[in-house]
Amino acid sequence: MGDDILSLEAIGMTWDADRGAGRTVLDGVDLRLGRGEAVALVGRSGSGKSTLLHVAAGIAVPTAGRVVLVGHDLGTAGEEARTRLRRDHVGLVFQFFHLLPHLSLRENVALPGWIAGDDHARTHERADRLLGRVGLLDRAGDAVGRLSGGEQQRVALCRALLRGPALVLADEPTGSLDDRTGREVMDLLLDLTRQEGGALLYVTHSRELAARADRSWLLVDGRLRAEAAA
Amino acid sequence: MTRYLWRVIARQLHRSRTLLGLTVLGVALGVASVVAIQTLNQGSLLAFDGSVRAISGQADLTVTGALPTLPESLLPIVLGDPDVDGAWPLVRADVAVAGRPDLNLDVVGFDVFAPVRYPLLDAAATQQDPLASLTAALSQPGWVAVTPELAAAEGWAVGDTVTVSSGSRAKDLVIGALVDFRRFEPLAPRRLAVMDIAQAQESFGRRGRVSQIDVVLREGTDPAAAAARLQAALGPGARVQTPEQRRQDASGLLAAFRLNLTALSLISVFVGVFLVLTTVQASLVRRRREFGLLRSLGATRRQVLGLVLGEAAALGLLGTAAGIPLGWLVARQNLQTVSATLTSIYVTEGIDRLVLPPTVVVLGVVIGLVGALGGALLPAWDLARRDPSRLLSPLAVHDAAGRGAGRLALGAAALAGAGTLWFAAWGHGLRFGGFLYGFVLMLALPLLVPAVVRAACGLARPGGFGPALGLRNLRARLQTSSFAVAALAVTVSMMFGITILVGSFRQTLVTWLDVTIRADVYISSESWQRTGNDAFLEPDVLGTLAGWPGVVSLEEQRRLRVATVDGRPVWLNGLRLTDRPLPGVPQADLAGRLPLLAGSPEAAVAGLRRGGVLIGEPLARKAGLGVGDTLRLAGPRGPVALRIDGVSYDYTSEGGTAFVAMDVLTTRFDAAPPNNAALFLAPGSDVEATVDALRRAFADRPLVIRSNRTLRAEVLAIFDQTFAVTRTLQVMALLIAALGVSVTLLIQAHERAGELALLRALGASRRQVFGLFLGEGTAMGALGLLLGLGGGLGLAALLILVINRTWFGWTIRPAWPAGDLAVQAAVVLLVAAAAAVYPASRARLAHPGQLTRDDL
Ligand SMILES: Nc1ncnc2c1ncn2[C@@H]1O[C@H](COP(=O)(O)OP(=O)(O)OP(=O)(O)O)[C@@H](O)[C@H]1O
Ligand SMILES: [Mg+2]
Repeated sequence: MGDDILSLEAIGMTWDADRGAGRTVLDGVDLRLGRGEAVALVGRSGSGKSTLLHVAAGIAVPTAGRVVLVGHDLGTAGEEARTRLRRDHVGLVFQFFHLLPHLSLRENVALPGWIAGDDHARTHERADRLLGRVGLLDRAGDAVGRLSGGEQQRVALCRALLRGPALVLADEPTGSLDDRTGREVMDLLLDLTRQEGGALLYVTHSRELAARADRSWLLVDGRLRAEAAA
Repeated sequence: MTRYLWRVIARQLHRSRTLLGLTVLGVALGVASVVAIQTLNQGSLLAFDGSVRAISGQADLTVTGALPTLPESLLPIVLGDPDVDGAWPLVRADVAVAGRPDLNLDVVGFDVFAPVRYPLLDAAATQQDPLASLTAALSQPGWVAVTPELAAAEGWAVGDTVTVSSGSRAKDLVIGALVDFRRFEPLAPRRLAVMDIAQAQESFGRRGRVSQIDVVLREGTDPAAAAARLQAALGPGARVQTPEQRRQDASGLLAAFRLNLTALSLISVFVGVFLVLTTVQASLVRRRREFGLLRSLGATRRQVLGLVLGEAAALGLLGTAAGIPLGWLVARQNLQTVSATLTSIYVTEGIDRLVLPPTVVVLGVVIGLVGALGGALLPAWDLARRDPSRLLSPLAVHDAAGRGAGRLALGAAALAGAGTLWFAAWGHGLRFGGFLYGFVLMLALPLLVPAVVRAACGLARPGGFGPALGLRNLRARLQTSSFAVAALAVTVSMMFGITILVGSFRQTLVTWLDVTIRADVYISSESWQRTGNDAFLEPDVLGTLAGWPGVVSLEEQRRLRVATVDGRPVWLNGLRLTDRPLPGVPQADLAGRLPLLAGSPEAAVAGLRRGGVLIGEPLARKAGLGVGDTLRLAGPRGPVALRIDGVSYDYTSEGGTAFVAMDVLTTRFDAAPPNNAALFLAPGSDVEATVDALRRAFADRPLVIRSNRTLRAEVLAIFDQTFAVTRTLQVMALLIAALGVSVTLLIQAHERAGELALLRALGASRRQVFGLFLGEGTAMGALGLLLGLGGGLGLAALLILVINRTWFGWTIRPAWPAGDLAVQAAVVLLVAAAAAVYPASRARLAHPGQLTRDDL
């Protein structure tokens, strides 16, 4: 139990609960992620998958339940402490990459290191190493604007892994890529996370990609239901 | 379409109320600076007009002298003219009020039996029993009528005694009546005081001499013809002018002063235009879909353009509505110092009552509207000309700006180059050439901004979440950032330009004072500062001074307002100087005290002794005179030609000054006592102790006795006061530029919501986001400083070397007021950072969950 990277206990989430008839999206979600584990999350659009990731990242505060991230109870942490926990332990990957267009590949990857105030040289060294792993080192100094979608997502993976996070949360990381590119990116995501020793929780609409996880959960009616494990 | 327009405006107002509020405030500040300056400028003319009308009433012509006074004996000649219906003499004296260092009374002595009605009598007559008043005025010694306003302010009542002085003569006046001249002339000076002419002559003037003769012509007479005939009859000792001519003289006197302030206030408007540009562009980018829809629904380009311009006009009108009252307040705030400058430097009527002339209101509206529309035109045109299908996305705009930066910089270089060529070839010869050239440079500077921002920010290598990242962000949003930086650059140019000018001027003045102010003690009278003409030091005073223990030399000076034969006003100074070497007092050596621009000191001293003249630099420049030329002055008996033996630096007046030996003044112009005196003390004397002893000895006389040190300090204080109003303008321009920073960052907080959400998602704290924006604001300040430093140096050079020479005629040695500039630079950075606080506090609220599909 002490080894859990992420532990969600009886998480409930009602949006706009304060405004009368709120919309309950999560209703008693329990989930545990151990070190190095990869878990997939599937569910229909609007079922609350992104919400669950936000809760796990400390971006959204659940209306019920307890979130423990690498031993820290997010419920007792303030906004600032949650931000710091996210910064130090969580890597995020988004469907639409969200790279900053005016920064180079290397700078985009280094951004979390800058935010954390890490040593400049070490950060850039590590950014270059990760870029090398995804085959983009020769373009490290270029602006990201001209990259293809797959290339952009590879850069975003590097960014998520820069500081060796214990937990990587990926919200439909292949959602805006074609099937082949999506598979390649997913391979990289799984390989890299494993190599860096992080746990991975990812959302996908693809059964095939969900099958690549150690476990996979279906989110329906605000609860998790086990899917056939890989 | 109109209904739609109003709905759109209302919705916009609500959605972007902070942004629009700041922009309206910027427009208001721009309008306010123009309104303030024009109100003050007009005020200076209106005050003069008001005093002329209150005193001379319906006079068609006024006869003044070549000298400040003219003989009474000219009156019969005037009355003898067949077209003259009536004429009456006036004696005028500017007297100091004992115990009130800032208060002077404008005493007008008039003939209570003058056969013509004019406001003074009308006014006097309406107050009390007119006959009783008139009898009292004649019979009661010191009877004077003052305005109720002044009486109220000073706590005077009828029957009170007020001690006043002219020169070293003090006189007790008795308040005989309160006369509200403003019922006849709304702008009559508050300090106007009237008394019987004979008493005025006796107390403050000279027997047989009057200050002016006012003339009323018979109905249907052509004033110009009558003036010419009278002029011929009266001879060269008199000057016959219509009220309009007198007004023009006064206005010409202040032209340079007024123009300078006007040009400065226009800079604020220019800065304000950038603010409008920023806002309108941002609002258009935000609403591009709305416009795309309108266009695809069939709205024409003209309609879209009209819609946008309509909104800008509304913005401009709102700003104007706030700006006019604000300008009025600013004018009131600066009234005191401007008025003091007018009276002390230009020796004209101070302003004691401000009015907001309708022309200034109209000007304010025009400036507000034209500024707002001018700011909106470019983005509106850009929007209207695009295909409905390809309406700009925010980043497309920024890309375009990035590509355009090089072209704009080339444009800036071309503009500045063409301007420089034009100025070198023709412009320097034109009176307005310097201003035009400065304007061209200020136009070129903003064009240079995108390229400089791009280059400077391109150098930034972010190695962390710090300023370098902020610079990168500015570069990424070149189009919006550039406007704010341009506004700052123009403002800083103006601030630095003026600061360098003022600093150099002050330094020059200090050096000049070192050379010229060499005596140990200076004596003048309380009324002297305003009226050199008749503020005399009586012989007994001079005698006491000359015999005072420790005094080795007494120098006397008399200042007299005369004019050149072609009508240029000249302060003529008669000097009775130490002309023998004083052992142990080398500073008394005259040759060493002449700050000569042309001619040798020895030749100049010899020339003065021979009856020659030394002229001041402004006169030399403006009249085109030099050593060896002849200065022709209008004397009481015809032109007086004086050989110019030297041209000296002179900062006492922007009009002409000339120096002659005292006997030249007394024999060829007017024999009268001096206005002030200077004492050289024996080596080793205690100057301050002597000053104290002299003050005690003359305790009951209206004398002003100052040591070398205090005189200098007072001169510098007057100098500083002169530039107080420019400081207000600097502050207003800086405020507008700061609003530009706020508006730009507010827009960015909105446009970059996605980026900020990402940063927060990646673990940036709210404080870090806040710091990022604060850093960006400061970076804009730094870039504005960088560009403004260049612009400021250019403007300073132009102001010092060109505009000052043409308009004021002063040589100013360039100096580098490093301390002042450093303080201002720090202020600019602080203000830019402060301007970023509100946008930063909005940006820090970005929520990490807000990332959406097309946010970045
Ligand atoms: N910040 C919010 N405020 C209010 N409602 C929200 C908020 N975020 C999400 N919701 C609502 O919660 C529900 C779940 O949204 P969520 O984004 O978690 O779904 P999802 O499973 O990720 O869907 P998709 O597969 O389309 O991304 C939706 O109905 C959405 O409208
Ligand atoms: Mg989702």
